Amino acid sequence: MNFFSVIRWLAWKDLISEMRSRETISSMFFFALIVILIFSFSFSMDQQTAKTLMPGIMWVAFVFTGIIGLGKSFLAELQNDCLENLQMNPIPRGAIYLGKLVSNFLFMLIVELILFPLFVIFFNLDVFDKLPLFVLILIAGTLGVSAVGTLFSAMTVQIRAREVMLPILLLPLIVPVMIGAVEATGSVLSGESVTFYRHWIELLVVFDIIFTIVSFWVFEFILDH
Amino acid sequence: MIRMIRKYEDWFGVAGGICIAVGLYLGLAASPPDYYQGEVVRIMYIHVPFASTSMTAYFVMTAASLWYLWKRNPIVDNMAHATAGVGVFFTAGALFTGSIWGKPTWNTWWTWDARLVSFTILLLILIGYLMLRTFIEDKEREARYAAVLAIVGAVDLPIVHFSVEWWRTLHQPLSVSPRGIAIAGAMLFPLILMSAGFYLILTYMVGVRTQMLYLQQLLEAKKGRLLGEVHL
Amino acid sequence: MSALRGIQLNKSYRHYQVLKEVSFDVAPGECYALFGPNGAGKTTLLKILATLQTPSSGRFEVMGLDGIRDRNQVRGILLMIAHGSYLYGELDAVENLRFALGLRGLSPADREIKIALDRVGIGAFADFKIRYFSEGMKKRLSIAKAMLIRPKVLLMDEPYSSLDERGMKIMNQFIRESTQQGAAVLMTSHNRAQSAEVAVKAGVLHQGVLHEIDVKELVAAHELF
Repeated sequence: MNFFSVIRWLAWKDLISEMRSRETISSMFFFALIVILIFSFSFSMDQQTAKTLMPGIMWVAFVFTGIIGLGKSFLAELQNDCLENLQMNPIPRGAIYLGKLVSNFLFMLIVELILFPLFVIFFNLDVFDKLPLFVLILIAGTLGVSAVGTLFSAMTVQIRAREVMLPILLLPLIVPVMIGAVEATGSVLSGESVTFYRHWIELLVVFDIIFTIVSFWVFEFILDH
Repeated sequence: MIRMIRKYEDWFGVAGGICIAVGLYLGLAASPPDYYQGEVVRIMYIHVPFASTSMTAYFVMTAASLWYLWKRNPIVDNMAHATAGVGVFFTAGALFTGSIWGKPTWNTWWTWDARLVSFTILLLILIGYLMLRTFIEDKEREARYAAVLAIVGAVDLPIVHFSVEWWRTLHQPLSVSPRGIAIAGAMLFPLILMSAGFYLILTYMVGVRTQMLYLQQLLEAKKGRLLGEVHL
Repeated sequence: MSALRGIQLNKSYRHYQVLKEVSFDVAPGECYALFGPNGAGKTTLLKILATLQTPSSGRFEVMGLDGIRDRNQVRGILLMIAHGSYLYGELDAVENLRFALGLRGLSPADREIKIALDRVGIGAFADFKIRYFSEGMKKRLSIAKAMLIRPKVLLMDEPYSSLDERGMKIMNQFIRESTQQGAAVLMTSHNRAQSAEVAVKAGVLHQGVLHEIDVKELVAAHELF
């Protein structure tokens, strides 16, 4: 089947386009930077409060910037009616979902990986011995947001008031991701032993699996009558 | 199906009204006050039915959405739509009465309790659902997208509940758990009666709204046909 | 057997019935030209046939397959050339072709792509980003895409719009070639003279009702509607 080749083509197309225009990643990056700055001004923090607030601030910034990227993801398909073309092609709808998920996930993750060192500098964090754990949490949390987000991006792009509807529909649904990611990040930062926060990472992984499968299945109903 | 609804809905309304009237009398006047919570407990007779009907409403909505995606029967979509609208009312009622109950018992209007958070998310999903529907021109697409949202929400809500519960036990354990109340027989009967009344009223409201949405659609189709003829 | 057949197709939006009992029949090797004033429902009809929308009632068949039930197979047979060019702005002409063909599981040799681009007269712009293409050039690229895909049924929404005279010649040349190879073509058009060169059947869609007319009328008649 050309299932996997469709995924590869779609992801390839998005990544090549992004490499050339750098439109999505740069706008995501600067938006996140501004969010972080605003947060830093809003709470005057000493070393200790910074440490407790940092996970929340970081994930709020990541999710907001993710919404920017997700909103643009299917908007690009609307130019020249490309989405119509995808619908008319004899390809499995699930493959379209996974292809877009790959690129959305990668865009979000790239921006997060650029931002993460900035957090370390701004908040004076000591993270270097736990870096793999942070990356794991980043991946798990980001996958959760982009799994649901890709679905709703495709849905809201075809309706009126799309800029408003994407966050309105997406944010309530990713509450578990937010809780899990913030708690896990916080626990790692404060140096707790892994047994205390393992369940948060498990929650993220379970969420990722469930929503990738559910979205994969219902995506057909977004693109097809 | 519409004919069936039209035939029986009024009886549901009347029966529900009677149940609630009798239940209110028994609950507010005839039943004894709670040993621990005193007179405050009487809000339970409204709060618990509100909460259980709103959950049932979402459950029905999800079932109708699945059914719609499977069979594509527009009336089933009207039913899901109707249930969402009515569900907003019941969910808001559950949150509101819960908050009133929380003030004297937990000494706060709002606390990050798993049920409270889940119900708030439920309300947000329902409102998002209704908003989504108003932003789509094409009737068929509207029904499809709404059904998808309902299903995704149904998968999400239990996860929200569990994650908030974990999160809660980590930060501040509950001081008073309403689950601890042992319900005496004298309190149980009015509660059952009230719940029955609420369920009947829920059925009645969903029936009326389903019918309304269906007729609205029929009217628009008729109008379209007439307009077409005038043009010719 | 007919290649494309509509059977009493109806389509209504909330307040308005766009198509009324539209029936037609296009045999393999035939080109059917559809005329009608703006808002007559031509594009809606094409979108239904392209499996993008469902008819409110009625059905259609593509090479004997039911257009609604077997839509995944139908999608492999059909190709639509519409107002939207279905091209991605950041990719160049060759990459766009490769992407479009890749979704259909095709991977032509560089030489084939070069030939197709040369035939539509944009060989010199092969590595230009689509962002810099004019509408006419995009349309020519769409012809090249159709040449490489060789669909059995071609749907065209105003194929001559935004093309120059040379472009229209290329378009008609391509249509003639396709029908000679047994493809069926259904086009909507406002250009009677150009359509008359290739069409063997014609119809006028007026307020949702289809009236078949003689092809000779296309040039002879003073006013079609």
